[in-house]
Order: sequence, then C-alpha cells, then structure tokens
Amino acid sequence: MSKPKVGIFGLTSCAGDQLVILNCEDHLVDLANAVDIQDWEMAKSQNNEEIGLDIALVEGSVAQVRDIEALKKIRQRSKILVALGTCAVWGGIPAMKNEVPREVMLEEVYGDNVRFIESKAAQPLSSFVKVDYNLPGCPIEKEQFLQMMASFLHGDIPEILNFSVCSECKMKENVCQIVYKNEVCCGPLTVAGCGARCPSHNVPCTGCHGPIEEVHYDAEVKMFERKGIKPEEIIRKMQIYAAPAWMPEKLMEEIEHENK
Amino acid sequence: MKINKKIAIDHLGRVEGHGGIHVEIENGAISKVNMDIYEGSRFYEELLVGKHYEEVAGIVSRICAICSADHLLASQMATEKAFGVQVSRQTYLLRGLLLHGSMIESHALHVYALALPDLLGFDGVISMASQYPREVSIALSLKKLGNTIQELIGGRAVHPINPIIGGFGLVPTRQQLIDLKSQIEKGLEDALVTVDVYEKLLPLPDFATTPTVYTALEPRELRYSYLGDVIQTSLGDKFPVEDYRKVCHERVVSHSHAKQSLFANEPFMTGSLARLNLNYQHIRGAAQDVQKRLLPNMPETNILHNNTAQLIELIHSLERAIILIDQLLEEGVEQEAPIKITPKAGKGVGAIEVPRGTLYHSYEYDDNGILVEADVITPTAQNLANTEKDLRTAVENSMKLPEEKLRLNLEMVARAYDPCISCAVHLVEIEFK
Repeated sequence: MSKPKVGIFGLTSCAGDQLVILNCEDHLVDLANAVDIQDWEMAKSQNNEEIGLDIALVEGSVAQVRDIEALKKIRQRSKILVALGTCAVWGGIPAMKNEVPREVMLEEVYGDNVRFIESKAAQPLSSFVKVDYNLPGCPIEKEQFLQMMASFLHGDIPEILNFSVCSECKMKENVCQIVYKNEVCCGPLTVAGCGARCPSHNVPCTGCHGPIEEVHYDAEVKMFERKGIKPEEIIRKMQIYAAPAWMPEKLMEEIEHENK
Repeated sequence: MKINKKIAIDHLGRVEGHGGIHVEIENGAISKVNMDIYEGSRFYEELLVGKHYEEVAGIVSRICAICSADHLLASQMATEKAFGVQVSRQTYLLRGLLLHGSMIESHALHVYALALPDLLGFDGVISMASQYPREVSIALSLKKLGNTIQELIGGRAVHPINPIIGGFGLVPTRQQLIDLKSQIEKGLEDALVTVDVYEKLLPLPDFATTPTVYTALEPRELRYSYLGDVIQTSLGDKFPVEDYRKVCHERVVSHSHAKQSLFANEPFMTGSLARLNLNYQHIRGAAQDVQKRLLPNMPETNILHNNTAQLIELIHSLERAIILIDQLLEEGVEQEAPIKITPKAGKGVGAIEVPRGTLYHSYEYDDNGILVEADVITPTAQNLANTEKDLRTAVENSMKLPEEKLRLNLEMVARAYDPCISCAVHLVEIEFK
C-alpha cells in the first residue's frame, strides 16, 4: 500500500497546532516515514500545492477572503479533511467578539488606515466546507493527534471523544474545583482530551477544547447556581474559545425552557 | 550602464509566518525596499477589553504559539503591576526559569535550523543534516530541552497554563528540578560543542553592516539579565518602562500588515544583538568566554551577528537556568498558594526581554478587575523599520552581484532578525491593492 499523501495547512492562527506536530520530537521521524507529507509550508520549502491529498490537516479560523479561497481549494483536493485545533473547530479566540462589526474593530486599532484592510468575523471551517473529523484543543494534544494519525494509517475511524473533562479529572483523583473551591471551572461543559491538564495543576478548566455535544445545560447551570456562580459567568468563560457555540440569548432561552 | 532591477521574494522561507521582500532599483538608485507582511487578523487588544484579569494572560498567549510563554509572562507582569501585587521569590525564580526555557527553544531553533544553513551553504536544515548530523541532532535536542523546561514549569509547552496571576498552580517538586538540572547540564555541554563549528564561519559577510540605535532593558542587578524596569538606548537615553511609547512611535505603512516603530524618527534594533551591545560587560561564565571568542570587538554593528549573539545568549540561558534551579533547591521549593488579588482601578506595563527583543504589554483595569484598555508592542514590529534600513544597505552593497546572490543576501538580512510574523501582526491583515 502506498503511503497516504498528507497536507498540513494554517489559516488565520497562532500556528500552535502545527507547532505541536513539530514538537512530537520522538515520533516525528516515524510519522514522516509513515506518511508522505506533500504540502507543509511552515516546515518545508519544497511543496506540491496541486497534488491530490488523502488527508488534509487544517489549523486556524477563517477570517479573511484569502482563507476561504485556500480552504475551498484544500477541500477540493482532499479525501479526508480534519479541523485541527479549537480555532478550526469552533472559531476559537479570534471569534470571541464576532458580534462587533469589523469596521468598528479596525477603526479602534488603525484609525484612518482602515481602507487598506480586508477582514471577516472569524468562523470555523465547517461554515464553509464539509469537515470529516474535528480534533479540538488550544493547542491540540500530542497524544490525541498521534492516535488519530495511527487510526488513519490502520484504516480505522479515529476515536473522537465526547465526554467531559470531569471524567478525566476524576481519573486523576483531583480535588474538584467547583465542589470544593467554588471556582468557575469549565470542566463539566468541555470536551475531554487534555487529561484534565488545568485542574491537575490546581487551575480551573478554561474550556480551551470547546464544548461537548449536547451539553446538559440546565443541570449544569443549576449546579453552578447552587455554588453562587451565575450562568453569565460560565457563558462568558466558555465564549473565550468557542463563542459561536455559546450565543448567550440562545442558551438562556434554552435554560429557561428547561426550567419551565 | 545604469542598473535597473526588480527583486520580489514573495514567500520568505525559514521564518515564522507569511512575509516577503520587494526591492526596486531604477537607474542605479534604490527606489523601493519593502519588508512585506501578510498574516491574519485577530484584533487581540480589542478582544481583551471587557475581560476579567484572570482571563487576560491566557488569551494573549494565543498571539503566537512560539512566543506563548513570553506573552503570558509579560501579560501577568502588567496585570500584577496594575494591582500593585508583589510575587514571592519562589515565583520570581520559577518565572525566570520558564523565560530561559523559551529562550533556549527559540534560539536553538533559529541559530541552528533557520540561520546556519545560509552560512554553511544549504537550503535548509534537512539538507544540512547530511553533512552536519551531530550539529542538527544537538539543535533538535536543545529545542526539546527548551520545551521540557516549559512543560514542567508552564504545564504545557505551547500556551502554558500553570503560571497564574500571583504565582503558580502547581510548583514542581525537588526531584523534578534535580532531573531537569541534569538535562540542562547535558544541553550546555552540547551547545558548547557547536561553538567550534560556528567559529569557523567567522568573519561573517558584512554586506549589511550599518550603525543603528540599539534598545534593551537595563538589568536590575549588575549581571546579564532579561528583566529590568528601565529601557536604555545606545544613545544613552533611559526611560522607565512605563514610557515605552517614547521609544516606540508606531506608524502604519501600507505595504505591511504590522505597524512599524521609530525612536526619535529613526529606526532602531531590539533583540539579542542589541542586548549584547548594551550589556555585554555583565555577561559571565562560559557565555562570556564564547562572547570573547566570537565577538571580541563590541559593540558589533553587523546585523548578521544577531545570530552570534543568539548563540551566546543560548549558552547564557542554559547556565542561568542551572543557577536558578540551584537557588530554588537551596532555598527549598514548596507548594504555595498564589498571592491573593484585590482588584483596583489602575494601569500596569509589563516589559521583558524575549528571544526577539523587548516585549511590552500595557493594561488598564477598572475597580472590578475588568480590562478597559490594552496595548501590546512586539519585538518584530519594533524591528521592521530597521530591517528595511539594513535591507537597503544590503542592496547598496550587493547591487552589482548576480541576482541569485543578491536575493540570498536580502533573505539573510531578514532572517537574521528571526522575525516572528504572527506576533508582529497580532492585530490586523492589510490587503493592499
């Protein structure tokens, strides 16, 4: 069997997910031998920008016309497209204030020079193309990434986690940040994969992997309310990394509906 | 015959981010030298407004993955100053160790993998590995060592989570620090081996040598350090870091997506070479020996020697990291709660020397600890005007050379600055028509 052809791309981003791939130091050589990396601008100077790909790994959010064009071209030439990191999956930090018009943002920063500038509210990849797999994380976790690539190489479907950080936190036998410390911890709402990194360092979860599917909002909100934490506080915190998933009006409506 | 040339380097390789160089020569005179920057729009300063002080550092670390620990530390420093918080000595030492971890990773990557291939005549580190396998393997192990330090102290190599306002979530154990120390000692031995290879490359080509103004933080104590409260310039000026805007007058230029900085209407340079030019008399240990071997005549005005200065600083950071661990072990490490914060309205400026130069974060908070205004000026943005100045010198000195050589010379100048384009363009994308 020939090696799968892989492309690694960065749209508007901090390059953190690609850096995690580079930081797979001990496994990087194995990975580079197991797949055929055809296109990776961040790491290579000789790239084939036309060839069809078996797997495209795309980091970053879509925040300018150039990103949309690049993404559509990548989709066209790829069999499997993976959204890599929270920006690609949810829009990430750049999507935090999408409700503010870009012209207002630009004027705040650049005054009269805004006419040079083209910018769009940051969106996840799935707003523009079909995404086959989501691997969230800010940044992605090395082990999760390597597991996903191993699955592809074995012809398997990668295991996409859909349980909360709390599960991993319990396995670590951490003291609960919410129950015992009254902290605004995003663990119950956030998808696992990090091994409860922050609570294991005595720091409440910031929600950097984005939400799990079908979060049980009303139960979670009631639990936080019992600890004297308002829903607005939780929503504000969850909006840092996954604002498009946490539109406050929509959520509050849902919570009120459940409470009736 | 008068020279007419147009040089367009659209994709500058072996730098972080998307940038290019455009030069035009008409009738033997340079009519245009642009360092062009094309990178994404994220409006970080605007995103911070309205955020709670505990959330700010985590957000700004996402400006750039490679410099995430640096942004985090400068941010926490700014917030703590705004609230008048003094951290414990243990926190101070651990933060210093984290900063050295970032310095080791960044300098190792740039010196060996990005800059050295130019000087040794290779197109990249992979082709260099065939002839210099030992050096490339040392480079990778030093980069990994920098990550290991950031992983232990920061809790994550990219976008650290363990440093928090007022202290740390989890303090490393004595045994973890002892293990880390032995890894750093091995790294120091390795790094010193590469000095011999580097020394053979001297003297470096001097097609871009031109005097300029250098700026760096003045060390707090009489030793080489990346921390300070006063900005010094090679003209003899001194400003408290709160007056950083007097050093960095920002301007917008249409060919760059990042703002440029000027001091007294002139370009200036910040970074390893600037630090070494201003503070070399304080450097000690093996780093001092290497400085005397590689750069005996200070100050040095050849920008290509920024790479040499990085190599000297790499050794300095390895030595300092060992000293910091010794101090921590001697004074005893213990799990301690972060300093309790009482938010109050106020302003604070955090300034630290990071791999590419002085990084400034400035915040204003209200009484509830909600951020009202933020300003971030990165080293790469400060260096852009000076990069163009050096590119111009390089064009003047290389104009008659074959185009391929001229292009390489220009790329070498841009790369010498180790530009971090994600950082420089944390604000905005300018699509110029």
